[in-house]
Amino acid sequence: MINIKLNVNGKDYSLEIEEDKRLIDVLREDLRFTGVKEGCSEGECGACSVIMDGRIVNSCLVMAVQANGSSIVTVEGLVKDGELDPVQRAFIEKGATQCGYCTPGFIMAARAFLNRAKDPTREEIREAISGNLCRCTGYNKIVDAIEEAYRYEKGI
Amino acid sequence: MKREFKVVGKNIHRVDAFKKVTGRAIYPEDIFMENMAYGKTLRSTIAHGYVSLDTREAEKIDGVLGIFTYKDVPNNRYGVVYKDQEVFVSKKVKRVGDPLAFVVAENEKLCDLALEKIKVYYEEIEGVFDPVEAMEEDAPKVHGKSNILYHFKIRKGDVEEGFRRSHVIVENTYKTHMVDHAFLQPEAGIGYIDEEGRVAVIVSTQYPHYDMEEIASTLNIPIDQVRVINAYVGGAFGGREDISLQIHLALAAKVLKRPVKTIYSREESFLAHSKRHAMVMRYKTGADKEGNLLAMETVIIGDTGAYASWGENVMRKAGVHATGPYYIPNVKVDSYAVYTNNPFAGAVRGFGATQVPVAYEQQMDALAVKLGMDPVTIRMKNIFKVGSETATGQILTEGVPLEECLSKLVEAMGYPYGKEAYR
Ligand code: FES
Ligand code: FES
Repeated sequence: MINIKLNVNGKDYSLEIEEDKRLIDVLREDLRFTGVKEGCSEGECGACSVIMDGRIVNSCLVMAVQANGSSIVTVEGLVKDGELDPVQRAFIEKGATQCGYCTPGFIMAARAFLNRAKDPTREEIREAISGNLCRCTGYNKIVDAIEEAYRYEKGI
Repeated sequence: MKREFKVVGKNIHRVDAFKKVTGRAIYPEDIFMENMAYGKTLRSTIAHGYVSLDTREAEKIDGVLGIFTYKDVPNNRYGVVYKDQEVFVSKKVKRVGDPLAFVVAENEKLCDLALEKIKVYYEEIEGVFDPVEAMEEDAPKVHGKSNILYHFKIRKGDVEEGFRRSHVIVENTYKTHMVDHAFLQPEAGIGYIDEEGRVAVIVSTQYPHYDMEEIASTLNIPIDQVRVINAYVGGAFGGREDISLQIHLALAAKVLKRPVKTIYSREESFLAHSKRHAMVMRYKTGADKEGNLLAMETVIIGDTGAYASWGENVMRKAGVHATGPYYIPNVKVDSYAVYTNNPFAGAVRGFGATQVPVAYEQQMDALAVKLGMDPVTIRMKNIFKVGSETATGQILTEGVPLEECLSKLVEAMGYPYGKEAYR
């Protein structure tokens, strides 16, 4: 067992965990942020994507000890004072979620991207979500939603 | 006048979209119950052979709560159309991935340890992996006396006569491969005893009432003592129309009187569920000088793998769709579902109608080349219209906008339809 400290969605946690746990295990099992999904366990599908210290990571590929001391944002952390994040609103508006299993991962990838993006092209948006797989939507509506979210944020 | 509708033409939000974008949609793996144990499946690593297990050492591991095998299942047989699957293999393994045992322990690590400690003894026998070979008399048999599960026929008019009158005939064999649904959420579920003492399973499924029937029949309990609760479903596409972990979880929960949770890895998910039928399609199609289709004869062989699943229905649909959307007066279709020792094939989007276009559309192109005609013209000549008769004798009385669809498509592509430009 080993002690780690994490800030998740703005709250500090101090945890005693088994050394071989991955970040996804701690988030899902210990802290019950079950919005973090596991689709492949090997970095292919992006369903487990979370923002770690401002960067998008596959939480199935990060050992929990590697995340020690870091700040994590999961999809549960995007709702602020009952208000949806613009990315979440746009995903609803544009019909960018179907079965929903890939959705938290895409939303986190989009959030991390839009935090830095300036007038993103569709090509750049595609690049930003290239680490995420969706088997249902065919991607176009997801790209539409991310464009829309950018417009919401810029008020255009 | 443009009519205003309440729903049609409007942007309607999915009822579940809010939960899905906030991470609040609950899939079975997101449920944690008090005193919950975990279960994992031991699966065969060979495709065809006799198997026996020695679970004694695994049972001794501290924290292992139970190891279930065929001996624990009152009625070991199930299957969505034919009861040709076993909850756990009793004697003969028929494919890689057949369930042999289900281990339940206090945590997943202990399950893995127990799986390693189960001794598996195989006596391999020759298998059959090609559906065409599997149809031969002396091929190894997967079940019973013949590998032919199903044969569907269409006989319309006189194909011999049709070919005699044909100016051009093309004959080709087409093959499609096996495909996995690869839905994004691997199978997961949780079995428990509910507040009224019933066996309950929460699972992502396409077919909860069928799951209930199979649990009741295999465990030999009244159906009103079984509950199946459909959680959010992370994609399915036909891949959740068969049993995967439902019976294993119900059995373990019933015996152990504890909640038991199972989550498949991606790899196990591939092993556990059905596949799209790989098909071999032999086609012979004839047309007159003007490009009017006169006859078509086809034999379509579908690899249904080790179990029937929906194979009969899928191969019937492939047969019914064998002419494509084209009127042909003389038709002979024979489609087969054939057992092999490959992964079992079942429902996948299109359900048999997806493979045949690979053949019938290329036949149209091949005929067009032979006739020196462009591929749109030959299609326009033969395409179903209102009043056309299909190969099964159905008269299409309404809703056949194929000509319009093809014209629009050609226009949108800027395709020089009818012109010599095509070559
Ligand atoms: S579960 Fe982490 S990338 Fe697929
Ligand atoms: S919505 Fe189902 S995988 Fe993307």
